[in-house]
Amino acid sequence: MKAKEGVLEFLNQVLKAELTAVHQYLLHAAMCNNWGYGRLHDHYSHLAKEEVAHSSGLIDHVLYLDGTPDVEHLDDVAHGRDVAALFAGDLEFEREDVELLRKAIAHCAKVGDFTTRHLLEEMVVDSEEHVDWFETQLRTIEQVGADRYLSEQIKK
Amino acid sequence: MKAKEGVVNILNKVLTADLTAINQYFVHAKMCENWGYERLHHKVRERSIDEMKDAEKLIEHILYLEGVPNVQRLNTVHVGETVPEQLKLDLKSEQEMLSILSEGVVHCTKAADFTTRHMLEDMVKDVDAHIDWIEVQLETIKQVGIENYLSEQIKKDS
Repeated sequence: MKAKEGVLEFLNQVLKAELTAVHQYLLHAAMCNNWGYGRLHDHYSHLAKEEVAHSSGLIDHVLYLDGTPDVEHLDDVAHGRDVAALFAGDLEFEREDVELLRKAIAHCAKVGDFTTRHLLEEMVVDSEEHVDWFETQLRTIEQVGADRYLSEQIKK
Repeated sequence: MKAKEGVVNILNKVLTADLTAINQYFVHAKMCENWGYERLHHKVRERSIDEMKDAEKLIEHILYLEGVPNVQRLNTVHVGETVPEQLKLDLKSEQEMLSILSEGVVHCTKAADFTTRHMLEDMVKDVDAHIDWIEVQLETIKQVGIENYLSEQIKKDS
């Protein structure tokens, strides 16, 4: 299948963001593990796996469209020195991801590539859920304080 | 645990090579799938997953040594256009990995960090097995010809 104009560029841009997310969540999972927050470690590992699945779907689809998947580039990986800083970086990252996906979806609709649009729409559902999760955590920290929040993250 | 001198640097070097290998093997696996070589797809994908597990261990070990894991860097990803080309490029990557790991093992011995050395040695074992597998494939292609080799890759092992 030949790709419609601009679709491969968008897919590779989304792929780059997803690969960055894999690295970011692997790192954040390991950091939480190192700090003793087992519950957060599990959640980040789950996020990393979801992003691996997204990357996998994107690479499949780029190849299906006779394109070349670009797996050599990464965006900036967000990092931080405490849990709240990790969450803030992740939230910003996920919001940008949602923006990019929305643009890509609009483009696919314009050029009439509804298969790619469908794939991206499934991803945007996950990304919006991630945004919501990080927003919830940051709000909880604000309401109960970081100490109380973190003490609940020690046990799974 | 504070790391001995140079150990975190080496671990980060291994991590970069590992993260690069994950992506390279992942794309190669997907390309094999796209060409209809189910058997190769599974074999190469397994290797990519092995590397992912190593990356996780490396990140955890760097943090344990109070270092900062660098997950921002990737080396050049070498993507082959045909199966033999992919095998040759993967062989090269594994050989480079082996030399980085060997350097690491020697350094850890000198610095007396035997825990890190032990971990790197476990990784060397995996790399050796990968190199052996790739060499076997290349030799088989030489002996039976590319068409015969590829036709055996269409169905996956049951």
